[in-house]
Amino acid sequence: MAASVRHLLKPWTPSLCLVRWSRYNPYYLDPDPSKDARVPESELSPEEKELQELKTVSPIKAALSSDTSSAFNDPLISKFINMMMQDGNKILARGIMTQTLETIKRKQVEKYHKSPAAKREEIECNPYTVFHQALENCKPIIGLASVQKGGKSYQVPVPLTDNRRRFLAMKWLITECRDNKHRRTHMYEKLSQELLAAFANEGNVVKRKHDLHKMAEANRAYAHYRWW
Amino acid sequence: SRPPSHNIVPTSLILCATYHSEGHSGQYYTLPPTHIQKLFPYGLPPRFQLQIKTFNEGCVMVRPPALELISYLKRADYSKPPLRYVLYGDIGTGKTMSLCHALHYCYSQGWLIVHVPDAHLWVKNCKELLPSSSRPSRFDQPIQASQWLKNFKITNERFLSKLKTTQRYVWTKRESTEKGQPLGELIDQGVNRMKSSSDVVGAVLRELRLQAGGATEGEGAFKLAVAVDGVNALWGKTSLKKEDRTMCEPEELTLIHNLRKMMKNNWSGGAILTALSQTGSVFKPRSAYLPSELLGEEGFDNMEPFVPVSVSNYNEKEFESCYLYYLDRNWLQHPHSRSEEGKKELIFLSNKNPSILERLCAFL
Repeated sequence: MAASVRHLLKPWTPSLCLVRWSRYNPYYLDPDPSKDARVPESELSPEEKELQELKTVSPIKAALSSDTSSAFNDPLISKFINMMMQDGNKILARGIMTQTLETIKRKQVEKYHKSPAAKREEIECNPYTVFHQALENCKPIIGLASVQKGGKSYQVPVPLTDNRRRFLAMKWLITECRDNKHRRTHMYEKLSQELLAAFANEGNVVKRKHDLHKMAEANRAYAHYRWW
Repeated sequence: SRPPSHNIVPTSLILCATYHSEGHSGQYYTLPPTHIQKLFPYGLPPRFQLQIKTFNEGCVMVRPPALELISYLKRADYSKPPLRYVLYGDIGTGKTMSLCHALHYCYSQGWLIVHVPDAHLWVKNCKELLPSSSRPSRFDQPIQASQWLKNFKITNERFLSKLKTTQRYVWTKRESTEKGQPLGELIDQGVNRMKSSSDVVGAVLRELRLQAGGATEGEGAFKLAVAVDGVNALWGKTSLKKEDRTMCEPEELTLIHNLRKMMKNNWSGGAILTALSQTGSVFKPRSAYLPSELLGEEGFDNMEPFVPVSVSNYNEKEFESCYLYYLDRNWLQHPHSRSEEGKKELIFLSNKNPSILERLCAFL
């Protein structure tokens, strides 16, 4: 048993060398920082029991310093902070994110308190749900890939993976706020305006998503050029 | 319009800060919007102003330091020289808010308010530093002085026509204010003519000192409340430079000089409420919070004897009250923050410090 595990813990290279790859052996499991209580043995299905066994035996990757065991930790927000970060200045990026969430909440709570009781239930005050919903509204369903055929390159409609869709939505939000807004407004102000607009399915980022969909619809004749 | 929460003081007690007692400690009371507009055009901390705008109301927690201060104010003898009260404490514990609470009590009792929201703003970042027109070795700050005069006018409108000047003030060859003119005219002079506004401030303070003793009971008598936040600025260093690139002493600034005279207890018929502040101070370490550290030797000697009032972090009851207030105003949105475990996390992260708790709850 020990001998078979030992060869997996040695330094490992993949058979096909890619540009971006994880130096961890695929045998390593991801860390799970959540503090959920251990479910008793009887309630687990046989697959889950096997998974639990595996967790006790196999090695686990090192946890990132930005992950916490508290329930306030949100992986989507962490990913967005990492994408906003420039030159490794995580403190600034995290500060901008918290200020954005605060601004969204302030605007919504102000609207909530000033509106009559009938309209109060429609106003969403939780900045986290606003962020998640706005991101969902910005995610494109179908993307375009450039395919070369007979000397000419065509834009071919192509399905996107979940990670790619999430990445595109976040990238569009950040570039939109950095480039197309007034120079003298703060980033958190620009972000909160854009997020609230995306939450209501308006604004430039949602418009860009719709443009992409229209291009894909216009190019549907070339869909068969895709071979994957 | 909204059902009364159990920890918000009922409407009948809103205006009467006189009725606040130890039993109300930890409960919130609402500042009436008209009072906020008049009394605190620039007096409240900026984050609290944001909170008023968001919640559409200004609610202040009744805490022991403010209650102590108000009880001293109630029992003091106003025929004797004024007592000096100094609020001190660590950063973010609520010194400015307690000062504003006590000031609101004075305002509701009909006192005349002289409020300097932050004395640190007068010793740093000054765009225009003019040499004084009246004295050769002094420097004027016209922008700050005229701003303060405007705020003073908003707060104390009803006194402006009643009080009269006791001597003739000459500003330039052609402008002067005669004896017996109402104070309102003096203030207008300062607001309109920016060059002499710092001297006008000095004149106004002098007039108030002379007349606060209140000659007779009845029409003319009034009590004077001098409230200064960041008193340690008066005796510290400035970050301003003179034209020959040497550092400016606070003594050489007209505004500071006149305010120092106000801090002495050689007049009668009022009270001096002050609060120390490290956050805006120049050249002071972050860990300094005691009066002797922040005021320095000179400041301490000048302020002595004073009544120190210590302000500290929330205790369990106050924290509970603050948490319930945020829940009531729909401010704590994250589902985990509404659970017991989330509350324990908030206690751990903020150490029950009011300002840190406020900043944490802002994005949760």
